[in-house]
This record gives sequence, C-alpha cells and structure tokens, in this order.
Amino acid sequence: MVEIRFHSLGGQGAVTLINLLAQAGDLVGKKVQAFPFFGAERRGAPVKSYVRMDDKPIDLRSQIYRPDYLVVMAPSLVDAAVGEGTKENTVLLVNMREEEATHLKALPFETYVVDATSIALELGMVVEGMPVLNIVFLGAVSYVTELVPLEAVTEVIRRNIPPGRMESSMEAARLGFTSVRMVREARIRHHREKSAAS
Amino acid sequence: MRLVETGNHVAAWGARLARVEVVSAYPITPQTQVIEEISRFIDEGEMECEYIPVESEHSAMAAMIAAAAMGVRSFSATSAHGLAYMHELLHWAAGIRLPMVMVNVNRALGPGWNIWCDHQDTLAARDTGWIQLYCATHQEILDTVIQAFRISEDPRVVLPVMVCYDAFVMSHTYMQVEIPDQELVDLFLPPFRSLWKLDLDYPLTHGSVIYPDDYEEVRFSMHQAMDNARRVIEEVAEEYREMLGSYHGGLVDTYRMEDADAALVAMGALASECRVVVDVLRERGHRCGLIRVRSYRPFPVAELRELLGSLQAAMVIDRAVSFGLEGPLFSEVKAAVYGHGDLPIFDLITGLGGRDVPYELIAENMEAALRGELAAESRWPSVRLNEHHRLVKRSLEEYWRREGVR
Repeated sequence: MVEIRFHSLGGQGAVTLINLLAQAGDLVGKKVQAFPFFGAERRGAPVKSYVRMDDKPIDLRSQIYRPDYLVVMAPSLVDAAVGEGTKENTVLLVNMREEEATHLKALPFETYVVDATSIALELGMVVEGMPVLNIVFLGAVSYVTELVPLEAVTEVIRRNIPPGRMESSMEAARLGFTSVRMVREARIRHHREKSAAS
Repeated sequence: MRLVETGNHVAAWGARLARVEVVSAYPITPQTQVIEEISRFIDEGEMECEYIPVESEHSAMAAMIAAAAMGVRSFSATSAHGLAYMHELLHWAAGIRLPMVMVNVNRALGPGWNIWCDHQDTLAARDTGWIQLYCATHQEILDTVIQAFRISEDPRVVLPVMVCYDAFVMSHTYMQVEIPDQELVDLFLPPFRSLWKLDLDYPLTHGSVIYPDDYEEVRFSMHQAMDNARRVIEEVAEEYREMLGSYHGGLVDTYRMEDADAALVAMGALASECRVVVDVLRERGHRCGLIRVRSYRPFPVAELRELLGSLQAAMVIDRAVSFGLEGPLFSEVKAAVYGHGDLPIFDLITGLGGRDVPYELIAENMEAALRGELAAESRWPSVRLNEHHRLVKRSLEEYWRREGVR
C-alpha cells in the first residue's frame, strides 16, 4: 500500500486534487481511498488530506502518520507537515522554486520541488486572488510517485473539468509533471532511479 | 458502473436505485451531501421523486410518516442533533408500523460542539423500535440502503430501518463503489406494497389512544417483528448476493473466525480497521478474529453466543459510552453470552468525537488483554489529559472557592 499525506491551505484545491488522484488510481486498476481532515474550512487555513492506494481492498480508515509521500502545497507548511509524522523513506514534494529550496536539503528526505504557484499564475488559475494548485500538483504527484501515469491524469481531467477550463488544466498537469526538480537525493537509494534534471 | 465517490453520494445512489418516491430531510453536517446529491438527481430528471424541504428534522420525520402512511416509499437522512430532534417521531414511525429507510451519518453530540464521528447519536435511539444496520464500506452503504427497503417492507417486519455509517471517515471519503444495473435492483426490490395505508375505500385509524387492555399487545407485536427481522435480514442479504453479487454479512460479518480463540467485536468503520488488527495479531502469533456487528437492532444474540462461546477472550470496541456504566455494545455483548461461556470480555471506549483510532492502539490493547495484563474490563485507552485540561479544572475550582466565601 502507498500512503500520501497532503498539507495545503484552504482555497488551493486539495480536496479536488485528492478526488481526481483517486479517480486516476481507479483508472489504472488500483484500490483507492481519499479523504480530507474536515475542520474549520476557511480560505487560507491549513488543510490535511490523505490518499491511500493499494492492489487489494483498503481496510484502514485512520489518518496517515507515516506517509510514503508527503506533499506540501504551501512552503510555510513544511515544518508543520514534517512534524505531523514521517518515516525513514518518506519522499517529500514541496511547492517551491528550486533556488529557494536550500533549507529543504537539511531535511533527511528524498526531496523534490515544483514551482506550482508560478505555473498556476501563468495559466491564470486564480480564484479570488488565490492561486489554485490542484491540477499542477496532480501532474507533479503523478511524476514523483509513479502511481498513476500522466495519461490517467489527463483522462480524469477530461472527465471532470468543464470545457472552458480544459485546455489550461491539461497544460497545468503537463507542466506540473515536467517541472519537478530533485533537490535532495535519498540517504539510502531507493529501488527506482530519478535524475535530478528530468 | 464503477464510481469513485463519497459515502454520502453512495447513500444517495442507494435511494435513487431503490426508486424512492418521497424524500423529506433537513441538512446537517455531515449528512448534507446525501440530500444535495438527491436534489441534483431530481433536478436533472434522473430520479422521479418528490423532495419535501422542511424547517426541521422533527418536521422531516413527520412528513416521512405521512408519506409512508399513504403507501409511498420514503427516505430521509440525518445525523446527531437532527436525529435527537426527531426522537419523538422515531417512536411514532415505528409504533404505527411504517416501512421507511433513513440514513444516519454517525456524529458526536454536543456540547462541546463536534461534527465528527462517534455512535452516541444512534445508540441513544436504540429503543425506538427502529432496526439499526451499521456499514463498514462504501459498497455496503449502497447495498444496505437497497436491502433496508426489502427488510422494512417485508410483511413479517413492517418496521422502519436506520442505515448508519461513520461521519467523515466514510461520509466524506472517496472510495470505489460498484453501481448495479437498475433492472437488477428492480427485480430485487419490487414496488412498495404496504400492509396498511390511509385509504378512503378502507378507512381505518392508526396510532390513536389505546388503553392498558391493548397497549402491551402492540408493544409485544413490535418485539416479535424485531425478532422476525433477524431471519429477514439474513434472507435479504443472501438473496442480494444471489441476484446482485455482493455480500457484507447478515446480522454479523466475520473475519478469520474459523480457527480463532480470541475475537474483536466492533461496529462501523472501526470494524474495517480491526481487520488490519487481526492480520497484525496473527502475524504475532495470536489466533484472533473479528466479529462485526452489522445489525445492532435486532441484536445478534444467537450468533454472538455461537461465535464467542468457545473462545478464550474477546474485546469490544465502543465508539460511544453509557455514562455511569460502560460502552453500550460491551454491555450487550456480555448480556448475549451470559450463561454461554466464561470468557473474559474487555472493552475499549475510543474514537469519540472523531478521535482518530490507529490500528496499533487496538492491537496493543488486545495483546495486553491476551497476556492478562489489562486490569480494568472497560478502558478509555486514548484519553490523554493535558495541561490545558488541568488548568481549566484548577481555575474552576479556584473560582468556586473564592465565590463560596460570600
């Protein structure tokens, strides 16, 4: 089973993200589970969301304390996200420019960044002044986790996103997928290899 | 057709496939998505149904009673305070023997105000005469809503049915569900033919004053109907498996009980989590199994006797408390096996108000129980009093002392 925990801010679109990611997992034959922790939902407030994928039915219903992947959609949430629990092989994906990621290298994780905010702003994905990052992250998570291929991501976008936003969403997913940069290698090499500049 | 959906939308699909004719409900977190989705189905012409918006849950159940009394298949959904508010009318619906199905998304009762999961709301409605079924998967929510109409409308039963599932853990979680073909559901669940209804050609009055001469007989007949429901629930689950393929158990659902010498007993989503606990404990050398109570009313007395009677230990997980006693499920499991085995039975009261229950917590406590290291039979293993709680208590005591001088 693969477990992913997302840390985001209300308004960034994490609930839609985990829904679409679960649908993509379903398309490639995985058993899926996706849920946010519902609390005081306000724009700008921290939100935690969870995704599980497995080849067999998922019986677990609890939150995720030792994620395989930790996805942080706002740079300000990195410390809180790590503080919520990790494990030795947790892989970190943060919304950040590569040149700003120096302090991430001090963390003991295989770490990737994606400048999701810039991509969303370029594509005009803004609601009430707040960049909506879910589709960019859908592409980035597809790249980093290899759980769902980009084709599955574009298929769920085709099924779920209204025609008016289709083109920009497809581009957002593609850019999310291709703009991920590795900023820190794993302490112990994992079975799969990733080049730092792909 | 397979969907990835929230538990709430799955419940709405159940009502749609059951060809519900009247829905009357009032929105409350975490149930709201159920009736939103039904409203959408109706608005988009996918469901032929009258939606009665009301100003409260009390009125929601009143409208349900009226609709069902006209022989119309009726559905509602509520949660926690909504269920508490309609409590009087729960007795009415059961007392005048009206088939209907209501989803209750299990949520804690306030104060302190809390929208998250526990089972206090429905357990407090235990003795209203409603059948109560608890679900552990999305597929089970869908299938149980459909099955519930068959159970409720069966002439041997004629009692309302509550289909319960956990707030957020199930209601707002996206998981896969297989939506069966409408034609198959129609074969399984024919149109509602009521045993009695308000009919000008055959006028009768129902639920008016009855004197001590007759009241006990009315209550006894409800008790018998509940008794009949045991067999009907099992039959309906079997028939559903034959016609539609999926099966989630009858009165109980078991996991790895065949060679077990110890068992966990739980309801709802925690019972799904307990499957993981069972696997973990078996890896550690304990022959543990799981009994998931699917039907809380009628209570699976014979099944529990048979399954627990020969075991060496059992542990009940309660997501509710009967203040001044212990966990309600614990009391009832003990009562069921009274005189039919002398195994020690333990109780964990946990997961109240949405407190997350990791499987390790249950595994650790079960192992301690099996080693004979649990002193108390009933425990609150996840309570952790912190400095904030103590500070509040100290300041209240201080305030009382100061004011007491006057």
